[in-house]
Parts: sequence; structure tokens; C-alpha cells
Amino acid sequence: MVKISVLQHAPSVHLPARPGDPTPTTRNLDPLMHPFARARERNRALNAAKMDKLFAKPFVGALEGHIDAVEVLCKKPGSLSAVASGSWDGGVILHNVSERKHIRRIQGAHKGKVSGLCFAQDDRLLSCGVDSKIKLWDASPQDDITEQRPLNEYPGKSAFNSIDHHRSDPLFATASNIVQIWDETKSAAISNLTFPTSTETITSVRFNLSETSVLGSIGSDRTFTLYDIRTGKAERRIVMQMSSNALAWSPTFPTNVLLASEDHNLYTFDVRQLKTPTHIYKGHVAAVMSCDWSPTGLEFVSGGWDRTVRIWKEGQGTRPEVYHTKRMQRVSSSIFTADARFVLTGSDDGNVRIWKAKASEKLGIITARERAAIEYRDTLKDKWKQDNEVGRIQRNRHLPKPVYQAAKLKRTMLDTRAVKEERRRKHTRAGESKPNAERKKVVITEQT
Amino acid sequence: MASSVDSLFVKAQNTTLPKSLRPTSPPPDNVPKHKHVKDLKLRTKLNRQAAHAARSKALVEDAELLLTNEAGKMQVETELERTWRIGQDDIVQSASQEAAKGRRELKLDGGPYRSRYSRNGRHLAIVGNMGHVATFDWQTGTMHAELQLQETCRDITFLQDQSFFAVAQKKYVFIYDRDGVELHRLKAHIEPTRLEFLPYHWLLASVGNNGFLKYQDTSTGHIVAEHRTKLGACHTLAQNKHNAVLHLGHSNGVVTLWTPNIPHPAVQILAHYGPVVGLSVDPSSGGRYMATSGQDGVVKVWDCRNWKGTVREWTTRGGGAELEWSARGALSVAVGGSVNVYTKPSIQTPHAPKAPPPLYLTHPIPHRPLTSVRFCPFQDILTIGHNAGLSSILVPGVGEPNFDSMEADPFENKKARREREVKGLLDKIQPDMITLDPDFVGALAPPTKLTTAVNDTHDIPFARLPRLERLRVQGKADETELVDDDEDIADGDGDKNAKPQSRMEKEKRKMRGKGKSVKRYLRKQRKNVIDPTAVAIRAKLEKQREEKRVAKAIENGSMEARKPSALDRFRRP
Repeated sequence: MVKISVLQHAPSVHLPARPGDPTPTTRNLDPLMHPFARARERNRALNAAKMDKLFAKPFVGALEGHIDAVEVLCKKPGSLSAVASGSWDGGVILHNVSERKHIRRIQGAHKGKVSGLCFAQDDRLLSCGVDSKIKLWDASPQDDITEQRPLNEYPGKSAFNSIDHHRSDPLFATASNIVQIWDETKSAAISNLTFPTSTETITSVRFNLSETSVLGSIGSDRTFTLYDIRTGKAERRIVMQMSSNALAWSPTFPTNVLLASEDHNLYTFDVRQLKTPTHIYKGHVAAVMSCDWSPTGLEFVSGGWDRTVRIWKEGQGTRPEVYHTKRMQRVSSSIFTADARFVLTGSDDGNVRIWKAKASEKLGIITARERAAIEYRDTLKDKWKQDNEVGRIQRNRHLPKPVYQAAKLKRTMLDTRAVKEERRRKHTRAGESKPNAERKKVVITEQT
Repeated sequence: MASSVDSLFVKAQNTTLPKSLRPTSPPPDNVPKHKHVKDLKLRTKLNRQAAHAARSKALVEDAELLLTNEAGKMQVETELERTWRIGQDDIVQSASQEAAKGRRELKLDGGPYRSRYSRNGRHLAIVGNMGHVATFDWQTGTMHAELQLQETCRDITFLQDQSFFAVAQKKYVFIYDRDGVELHRLKAHIEPTRLEFLPYHWLLASVGNNGFLKYQDTSTGHIVAEHRTKLGACHTLAQNKHNAVLHLGHSNGVVTLWTPNIPHPAVQILAHYGPVVGLSVDPSSGGRYMATSGQDGVVKVWDCRNWKGTVREWTTRGGGAELEWSARGALSVAVGGSVNVYTKPSIQTPHAPKAPPPLYLTHPIPHRPLTSVRFCPFQDILTIGHNAGLSSILVPGVGEPNFDSMEADPFENKKARREREVKGLLDKIQPDMITLDPDFVGALAPPTKLTTAVNDTHDIPFARLPRLERLRVQGKADETELVDDDEDIADGDGDKNAKPQSRMEKEKRKMRGKGKSVKRYLRKQRKNVIDPTAVAIRAKLEKQREEKRVAKAIENGSMEARKPSALDRFRRP
């Protein structure tokens, strides 16, 4: 006897049970059922990389209102849409970024430029200027948006360069030729923090976001100093090769600090080990004027003197995303919004520009299916980034001609210096000169 | 040391991944740990990737439980019974009503018929030699198009699905719509005899009486490649579905393998003593086995990985068998007045004596000649085209039971068909990716032979070296995954005792016996023109040879070394 069974497919398994039901899918993961699987996946990765560039339209809009260059930007903690900007003509504007309107407009807040802005608790704004004054303003939304009179005024002895507020206490720190801690209720500084042997101008001061009594500051004599309010002293400082222009503490890793340096690089330092930077970010072709971390701590933005805004990934020191416009001149300040989706930049032409953090992101309601497709494409691009064609499309950036030429020239000059260094090393006796790692050249000395 | 910075230290010490991001299953064993990589970040990343890959592999193996359908089978219980004694009537009786519909006879007049199934097995296209063309959904019986073309038609194929089909007519190839409306006359394909459609590359290939193999992209309309086979008219064409290589059988017994990128055949084998009539490649082994049949009556099964003789060969009674492999590795041979089916594993195991393999099933067909055999993709059905129409027979166990609905779905509706067509167009692979080995995509490139090193020392500064050379000089180049071409030869198991050679030595061994560029230049200059540079080079080479000879003679002791004398400073070097 013979056992015979002939193959058949049950339509009930493969057709929808009721009209309107989704069609059931059957999968067979045997590789023989999927010929050319890798070639097809590579094609999809190539298309994903191309689509990314096709839909990259990062510029969202500009917030106008300032007459002169924008010097400083500050975002309100706990708010997604309130951002304050201060300019060289002494005006301060509080913007609603999502509606692109002014919440408050203060003309002539200071005589001379507004050099620092920060938010205090309960809808109040602090501004400091080169006219040696600190003013406290009311930042709550009101019907009359022009504002003339401050809530309080704190006179100082010299021009202020920067201001930052404590996380929870009613204290703020200012930077002039010394770092001073002020109490909001008192009209004079409650303490001065200096490094014993320093005679510099402090250009920027920032409170640490987790350990809130720790401050970091950068000065004109190429230093980065750490202070503690509780001891009332400067703890440690490092002297670098070139001075820094901005500093930002990492929001997710409390010991990491990012410095934007005059030597076109950005450095991250771990404050437990200040001898060498943990990362060096090379890309700008002129001094980096400002930097800010994304709230996720995985990315940061930097604005440079070379008229470009670059968005970097933490840990990847080359090839950031580059934004530029003909109308945007020197970028003096850049911040991330609190939802990590947008970057705001203030530049010399008096505009505050809003850019998308991910240039090809869709700004609308995204359905679950669309989000799954976007995630799939992102994974594909990541998986195939080593491939020649896919990688080339992803790495390519359009730069304005002056920036491109400057980068080329810089590359040539650095290469010839490296070659000369090597030839010198080749022709010296063994043991006489030891090569220095790039990271170790950054910090000259560390002082306690 | 300030307490503040210490407290920062303490807080940041215990960082672990949040619970939702930690992997749920325990790490698999046999995961390679990249201990040779010194960079900690890179090593962690590689280890994580390897663990993820091992987990995915385990999941794929588990996914076999999801394959719910079972293949057909025909098992004899007693030793005296044989499977090939069972006729179609018995099989039809044992099969269900739905499966029994597969046993049908189409009585048509219109010359010997050829047939082709669409990729999902739902639609059938038939063409008769006199010009009768029909396409229909054989399961529901819906006729899509029926044409009487009144000229010789030699072959038919569906394009990407049932919405287009191409017919190889007397002079040109014509493309028709689903409803039989003529859309295109492809005048580049002259006197075509056979057609093949490469579905993942959207290429329509044809061979003809003029000996040309032409590839045309049906999505853009461009002719991608035109190859002169230089072997005369060709009447046999088969496609390897796993690497899109076309196998042609010629009238001098030669089988050639072609890709659109090379103007000559990639592989050429003398297979038979007469014209090659039947040709088919096995899809169940990834294109490893190829079956050929000649006018001499011999059927041969070849191993496509090493073309060293046949795996199996036997003689059939009557010449010129039509062959086709099924998705599960069964070979059907239609020769003389009957169709024979042989199954795995016997058809694929090497067998030296020239005896036919054990027969699985046979079916006689009185109408000669038998012109085509086609397996229906996901069914246990074999369709034979003959002089008086077509016959479909049931062959248990040849059809793939579990299909993947994203690749080919017999139950797809209109929306699914449209989506699949668009996705297929987006994923279209360029023809220059077709090679004999399809797995090169995403693999590491072989190490470049270009190096600036002379005797392992570099002349150019370190800063100007390419990246891989720099890593090699520093000693950090990770070459554990690079495979050298030399070591990859199939018979590499005789050299187990040889020391691992350095790259320089390998290069030297390769260059041995080959003319160097200087010698080539001198050979070219050996004409009646006297070239001063050639003369100078010859003189220099002669001097070098003389020096070598002298040095060897001094070593042997047959000549004494020249004693140093005061006049040596006047000697020209």
C-alpha cells in the first residue's frame, strides 16, 4: 500500500477572514526563498541615503526684531517655546518660537551690548551687559509686550561678560574680571571666586547641571577653571594652547564639559581627569564661537566664526552636519531646544534662525507605519555606511565656496606639517625626541 | 582634593543600561570575542554586534516552527511496491478535490506547445508553434488573453507578473498587456528562439538564430548588453535563479554561462557530443547543480561549484530530453513518449556508473514530440507541453509548501500586486552586480595589491600613506577577516605544512614566470629601430647579470675574488 498526499494550500489561511480584515502574511525565512537578499538590501540602503539628502531642508524660519547683531541666546528651562535673545544694541527680546512672535521686547535694556542672559525662577529673566549692570526683568506673558522697567537692578564694578543661574537656589554667578556669586535679594555680590594667581578676564561661567554647587569658567588667558560655591574657592584649572569661547556642561553625563576653542576645535573634558580631552571635534575652519548640548546628551551644536552651524554626534569627531546660508554671517550663539528637535542660532546679521536638528525630519503627524519605515531606513543607513556608494552619499556635505577652500588650505597646511614632523623624527637619533599624541598637546598645564 | 569633584566621581561610577534597553535573553554561547582589538569602544561594539547576530540566527532557526504547511509525499509501505508504478489515477483518487484539479488535459491544436508559469504559480502562459497564445489564471479558470498571431511563436514568458508577457515571434520579440494588447515590438531581438526574464534585475534576455544574447531592461527600455556568442544559433536557455546567470546550450555540445558584464562566456563546458537540447539549474541547492541533456541521448548532472566531471550521467532511450528542476530538488526528464521524475538525494549524490538514478514517478504521453516541462511553483503539479496541447500531472512532493508572501504569493490581491511591483522597481538591482558568486555584496574587498612598499619598507612619509598601510606599519592592522585569493582555491588542502608566507614572498611567487615590465619593453623594442634607451637598459641588465654570475662563481669557489689594489679608485663602477 502507498501513502500519498498531494500538497495543497488552504485559502482560509491566506485570505482575509472577513472583508476589511488585513491580508494574512506568511513568511519563510529560508535564504533560498530570498535570492539577492543582500543586493536588494544594499539598494534600499542606497535609496534611503539618497532620500535623506533629497528631503534635507533644515531651515525652518527666522525670528526678527533685533536691530544689531545677536550676541546671546538663552532658553527657558521647563518650556519648549520660550527663548530669550540679547543683541549688541542693548535690546532683549523674549520669543515664542512655536508661534514666532515676541512675548516681550525690551529696547535699551543695557547701554552697549547685552553680554549674558539667563532665566531665574518664576518667569523672570536676568540680563547683564558691558555697562556693568545686571537687571532682572519680568518674563511672564502680558498684553503689553514692550517693557521698559526692570524689576531689580544690581550694579557691578566692571563690565560683565556672562551670567548663569543656579539650578534651584536664588543665586546667580557672573563673569567679569572675577567670578562673583550674587543673591537675588541682595544688591551686592555675596562672594568672589578667583584662582589665586590669575589676572584674566573671565569670558563665560556655567553652573553644572547635576552637582549644582560646581561652576566652570573660561578665561582670556586660555584657561578653564572649576569652582565650588561651598568652599568658596577655585578648585582646579587647566591652561590650554588657545583660549576658548564657550563652555557647556553635558546634561546626561555630569562630569563632561564641552569647550569651544579658538583653534577651530571643540574639546570634551572629563573633570576628573583634566590632563587630556576625551574627544577632539575637528571640522570648523575658523574659531568656534558657541556650543550647546542637546538634552539627550548624544549630540551638540556649535556655531563658528566661519558662518556655519555644525551638529555633531557625541564621540564622532569628524563630519558633522553643516548648515549655512548666504544671509547668515558670523554665528555668535547656538542652542538646542528642549525637545532636541530644533537648533536656534543667533548671528551677526541680527536674526535668530530656527533649524531642524535632523535635516530630513518630517515636521508633521507621523503615523506608526511611517515611523516604522523611517526607523528601518535609519537602521539600513547605519548598517551599510561602510559601503562605498552609500557611505559617500551620507558623508557628503555641501559647503559654501570660501569655507570649502579654507578647509582645503587648512588640510594641505596640516599635512605638510605632519610630513615635516615625520621627516624630523626619522632623522633624529632614537630616544632623543618622542612623538606626542594629538590629545596630549591640548593642555599645557594643570594647576590646583 | 575638593569633595565636590569626588562626589561627581562617585555618582558617575555605577552606570548601567536601563532595564528596558537590556537584552532579554541570556547571551548566546560560541560568540566570537574580539580579544585582538585593543580599542575598548570598538571591541565592545563588535562584541555586541556578534551577540546580536548570534541571537538573530537562533531566532531564524526557531522560526521554522512557523512553517505550518507540509509538503506532499508518496511513500511505499512494503518492499515490493515501487513509487513509479503508481499512476495518475491513483494519485488523483488519494488527493483532495482542490488538489485533484491540478490533473487536467488541455487538447489544443496549434503546433507543439510551450508553457510558462508566473513566479507565484497562479497564472499560466502557453504558446503554440503556429501562433496560438493564451494566458490564464488556471486555479479560477479566468482567461486573461487569447491571441492567434498567425506566425511562428517559439517561446513565451511573463515579465514581472501576469500584467505583461513577452512572446518570441518569428522575427522579433513582442510585449503584450495582460489583456493581450500589443504594447512593444522589440526590434533589437532578431529571430528569437528563447526568452528569460530576470525578475530582480528587470531584464528580458533573448537568444536567437543569429547567435546573439541580448539583455533589455524592461523598466527603462534600454538594451543593457548584446553578446555575440560566436557559436551559431542557440535553442536552449536556462536561468540560475540565485545569481541571475544565463546558461546557454549550443549546437556543438557546448554549454556557456553568461553575465551582462563580460563579452565572453564566464564558463564554457563541453557537455555533449551533439547539440545541447535540455538545460536546467537546481533552485533547491542555491544553483549548485545543473542538468543538461544532448541530442546524443545522455542526461548529465553537473556540480556548478567545481566543474570537474559530472555528478551523475545516464543514457535515455531517445535523444533530446527536456529537463526541469523543481523547487524541492526533483528533476523531470521528458524524453521519447514519457516523462520521468527523479528526486533528491539520489539525483544529487555522485555516482560513477552510468546508470539512471532510481525512478520516482513516470507518466506516458502519446503525443510526440514533448516540447516543454514546467513545474508549477508552489504546487505538486508538472505541466508537459506536447504536440496536441498540454497535460498537467500530479507529482507528490515536488512543490514548496511554505511560500513567503513578500516574494511570491499565489493569493495576492490587487493591492498587494501593486505594492510588490513598486517595491520591486525600487529594489531593482543594477545589471553590473550580476556575477557568478552573488555573495560578494557586503563582503570585505580582497586586500589591494597596490602598495608603495619596496621590500617592506616605505618610501613615502607615514602621513601620506593610505589608511590600511598606516595601520600595517603601526602593527594595528586587523587582517583576521581578510581572505587571500591564493588560499581560497578549492584544492588548498595539500599545503597544510607550508609556513605562512609574508606578503612580499607571495607577490614574488606570483611574479615568477611572468614577464616584468622592463622585459616587455625590451621585447617591444626588438625591432629594426635602434632606441638609445633600450640599448642603455640592455647594457645595464647585462652588467647586472654579469655581476650575479661573478658573485655566484666566487661563492662556489670556482673563481677567486679580486684582490684590492691601489688602482681600484680609477675603476668605473
